[in-house]
Amino acid sequence: MAGRGGAQRPNGATQGKICQFKLVLLGESAVGKSSLVLRFVKGQFHEYQESTIGAAFLTQTVCLDDTTVKFEIWDTAGQERYHSLAPMYYRGAQAAIVVYDITSQDTFGRAKTWVKELQRQASPNIVIALAGNKADLANKRMVEYEEAQAYAEENSLLFMETSAKTAMNVNDIFLAIAKKLPKSDAGNANQQRQQGVRLNNEQTQPSESGCCK
Amino acid sequence: MNMLGRAEFGVSTFYAASHPNDKCGPNGLPLTPNSIKVLGRFQYLTTIEHPWLCRYIDIAKSKHERMLVVTEYYKTTLQSQLESGKYSRYHSHCLSVIDGLSYLHSKGITHHNLSTDNILLQTDTDIKLAEYGMYYMTDWGADVNFPIGLPQYMAPEIVCSGPVEIDDETEDSLQPEIGPKVDTWSLGIILLELILKRQLWRDISLPEVLQKLLNLINSEMSPLDFLANEEGFSDQLKTLSKDLLDLLRFCLTLAPSRRPTAEELKKHTIFREERQRMTPHKNGFTMCTMKLRCKDLELPSYDDEIYDPDHLSQRGMAEVYYLWQLAGGELEAVLKKAGMVKTQPPVNLLPCCGIPDGDMFGQERDKAELLDRTVVILPQEQLRNRLKDIEERAYYPLLEDEYADNSQLPTSPSSCDLTMTASLPLVIREKDVEYQFHRIILYERLLRAYPYKRPNIWKEARVDIPPLNRAHVWAALLEVEGDIENIYSSIDKETPIPTDRQIEVDIPRCHQYHELLSSPTAHAKFKRLLKAWVVSNPQYVYWQGLDSLCAPFLALNFNHEGHSFCSSLLPIACLSRFIPKYLNKFFLKDNSPIIQEYLAVFAHLIAFHDPELSNHLDGIGFIPDLYAIPWFLTMYAHVFPMHKILHLWDTLLLGNSSFPLCIGVAILYQLRDRLLSFGFNECILLFSDMPEIDIEKCVQDSIKIFCSTPKSATYRQHACKPRKQKNDDRPNVSYYSRDYNEQPQNDLSMEPIAIEELKAEKCPRISAEDMIELGEFLGAPLSRSPTKKRANSKPMIIIVDVRSADEFRKGMVQGSINIPFMTAFSPEGELCPCPAVTTLNSRRSQVIVVVGNRGRNASNFANELVRLNYSRVCVLHRGIDILKTTGLLTVAPADI
Ligand SMILES: Nc1nc2c(ncn2[C@@H]2O[C@H](COP(=O)(O)OP(=O)(O)O)[C@@H](O)[C@H]2O)c(=O)[nH]1
Ligand SMILES: [Mg+2]
Repeated sequence: MAGRGGAQRPNGATQGKICQFKLVLLGESAVGKSSLVLRFVKGQFHEYQESTIGAAFLTQTVCLDDTTVKFEIWDTAGQERYHSLAPMYYRGAQAAIVVYDITSQDTFGRAKTWVKELQRQASPNIVIALAGNKADLANKRMVEYEEAQAYAEENSLLFMETSAKTAMNVNDIFLAIAKKLPKSDAGNANQQRQQGVRLNNEQTQPSESGCCK
Repeated sequence: MNMLGRAEFGVSTFYAASHPNDKCGPNGLPLTPNSIKVLGRFQYLTTIEHPWLCRYIDIAKSKHERMLVVTEYYKTTLQSQLESGKYSRYHSHCLSVIDGLSYLHSKGITHHNLSTDNILLQTDTDIKLAEYGMYYMTDWGADVNFPIGLPQYMAPEIVCSGPVEIDDETEDSLQPEIGPKVDTWSLGIILLELILKRQLWRDISLPEVLQKLLNLINSEMSPLDFLANEEGFSDQLKTLSKDLLDLLRFCLTLAPSRRPTAEELKKHTIFREERQRMTPHKNGFTMCTMKLRCKDLELPSYDDEIYDPDHLSQRGMAEVYYLWQLAGGELEAVLKKAGMVKTQPPVNLLPCCGIPDGDMFGQERDKAELLDRTVVILPQEQLRNRLKDIEERAYYPLLEDEYADNSQLPTSPSSCDLTMTASLPLVIREKDVEYQFHRIILYERLLRAYPYKRPNIWKEARVDIPPLNRAHVWAALLEVEGDIENIYSSIDKETPIPTDRQIEVDIPRCHQYHELLSSPTAHAKFKRLLKAWVVSNPQYVYWQGLDSLCAPFLALNFNHEGHSFCSSLLPIACLSRFIPKYLNKFFLKDNSPIIQEYLAVFAHLIAFHDPELSNHLDGIGFIPDLYAIPWFLTMYAHVFPMHKILHLWDTLLLGNSSFPLCIGVAILYQLRDRLLSFGFNECILLFSDMPEIDIEKCVQDSIKIFCSTPKSATYRQHACKPRKQKNDDRPNVSYYSRDYNEQPQNDLSMEPIAIEELKAEKCPRISAEDMIELGEFLGAPLSRSPTKKRANSKPMIIIVDVRSADEFRKGMVQGSINIPFMTAFSPEGELCPCPAVTTLNSRRSQVIVVVGNRGRNASNFANELVRLNYSRVCVLHRGIDILKTTGLLTVAPADI
């Protein structure tokens, strides 16, 4: 059984490490999760971004000094009802971006619920970032920057206000996460990396391609 | 249906106002282009059907926000009659105009544009109002940069009210307080002109007209007297009858509150006689009604003098226009030929100067943006040429032809060349004017006879469905019936419900590349439709994806004119039949048992038909849960563009609730090579953005897959429950359309299986009943399974008994082979060679039914076969035990 992502590994490349992380996006629907991913991965913005059913998956690589970080991004459906599917995506994730829409207080409340759930249920070392999206709509703001920042500090979350539309802070938030993720040579990260999405073959051993090589 | 008659098609054109380049709505996203708004609002106009009104037929969007509008048209106008001087019919014409206006007003449309040059003469006696939809479709003028209506005929309050304002939040116009009574004023002026046989205020400049209007408003005199004074026709007025004078004064009342409505005018004494002569008009064909349709039926009289050799004129306008397009008609080309496509080179429109904050100055107004009221007639020669060889009787096909061979398609005459066309690819058939002509006429007749002709509709739909009739054919296939007006119109679609927010954020993201669906009109309809479904199905909830599921029904019924009465309710009626059939219980609050079962059966089906692919995908952990939920939850409406969904559903609707699973396998087939070479990441990336799929091939493949799957193999306990038995008149459709759960059940049928068990197994199970039938153990087939038999072929199945040789000898199914599980596989996992294995390998095209005892041996054996890439493997449900009562078990012949 080939390790996932093994194919991307440059043959015999030794200079620089390649790390692979699973990242999940959570948040109320229509706050712009899919748009953030699309901006980060393809540099595009679709005004009429289709809604996400179940989940979508994309990958993107960023370079940090001598390390190449590859994100496997799971973009989830926002509707409360799909909640029951969420654990299947955040299980084994090393990072999460919880997104809210700065023009809606409700979505911020929902983001807090997600953070709590992650703190309880996800891997203990998960890096969580809070993104206040649609920052371009500052004149319709309902969630103050300070309020969100204070909350993020309390819960030791990374925090940025972003705009998928103008691209503001989009790459930055992913980079900040990449920086914060442990890039130890073996062990630690390796063990965290389970096949999070494998629902029924628990018996498969953790992928030997692991994380950092 | 409005027949073409002697009508022409006319195209006219105008420009919707374009938004400033960088203007955004309150959500930070670009504003909806005005052309799209107009496009959406226009659709309602196509449902307006009345003897004194020209029909609106089609609208198209061209470059630079230019709109092309196609309407019913006649060359003679009231004005040209007036100019010719021989005019005297104002009495009856006036009543027709009033009748037409009153109908418009009852439909919420204000004409606002009435003048003698858009009252057309169909015949000497009959008028038709044209251009009455301009004000409505442009959102009361908000979407265009020109005024609507000639100032000569404008009611005073219009001049006073100024331009419409637009609400920045909703992008809707704040409808000014101008009501339908403005039309009464215009009518008064027109009536006056008809009486005077000349035009008022025609050749004077716009400022002068406005000045005169202001004078009129400020005058002490009544408007009529003021005009008489100004224009010098006081003497003529004196010769008029009291009634006529009264009518004039009544219409030309300054204060709108005291001016009569069109409805009130109808009752004026002057029309007493005409009123009695007018017959109430009947609206067109309704597909679903409880009324007796035969009640008003008039038999055609076979009077030779009335006989019209122009059969095309007996067809509906929308239909003829559709055929006109298929025959190569293009609006742009017609306009170009008429010299109506002149655009300024952009350089002439540049502003003279701009300042850093983006404001521009000195920009000349593009004259093209003003309204050009020219109507260009669409030449019909090309269409008539294409159809000239069609026999007369093709226009009136017989549905009850005793001599016709029933199995032959299609039912229409001149069938020789049609059958040839019928074998061409669908895209070609849909562009073939002659072929579509025959199909449309046939379907139209069948639909009129719905529900009695449902079997024929079913049969024809298996060939293809003409796009023009699709909305109604779908409704027929979904067995929409009864008084849908009564059932659905009472649902509350307005009261806020908790789901509103979700619906509101999903609609603007649903199929928005589709021009119609992106219009505000569509959004509003969409919302009502979703709410109506949620409210009327309290046992279910809104799951994201329901929006996509509705989109095809909405898009289809938007386009359809003619059957106005029920079209606004058809989407909800269709949806309410579609969901129980294909997505039973999928919209329960807790739908996970249903989805889990569905996905497990899907995984089995992949293993059954393509073990190699199944092994690979399983191996990399790419399970259906990760990609197929949006497929099934929306019946593929979330993953394909609209035109593909329509074709896919044309066939889907003919299948039973298991058919969508086969479509899923067919999609995997098309991507097979890629999937086999991909790892987990590439696979999932592939499906994150559905790659190009050839839908016609996909449909063909799904049918093949469906026909080579035993029916019990796709059994799902959560599939739709049996319906109350009523006469089933679908012909020969049992294989495709009937659901397993709809059939009578017996001891040998399939039974619910626990989800854990389903998931643990790789292969589907087959019921004893299916096995007996496919193995032809009882002779006459029960026709439960779709797997068709070819004459003289070997049995469809090979039974592999995996019990010990001892048990096998004591009781076995005739013709089965024995490969005891215990000794079957070598340590390397290969099948140990033996005669039985050789037999098995020689019959790999057959369905392999693995039979065992109660334990897991049979299913483990089957799993191993799949691992070894044996296809079509299934396991007998409940094993050998179930066969004990059937008398099928025999003692093996003595060992040799
Ligand atoms: N103005 C603005 N709109 C955004 C932004 N991000 C997303 N949107 C819009 O918000 C809507 C919902 O976005 P989507 O990515 O589908 O949200 P998701 O449900 O969280 O995945 C879409 O219409 C986007 O175009 C943003 O940064 N600014
Ligand atoms: Mg999304």
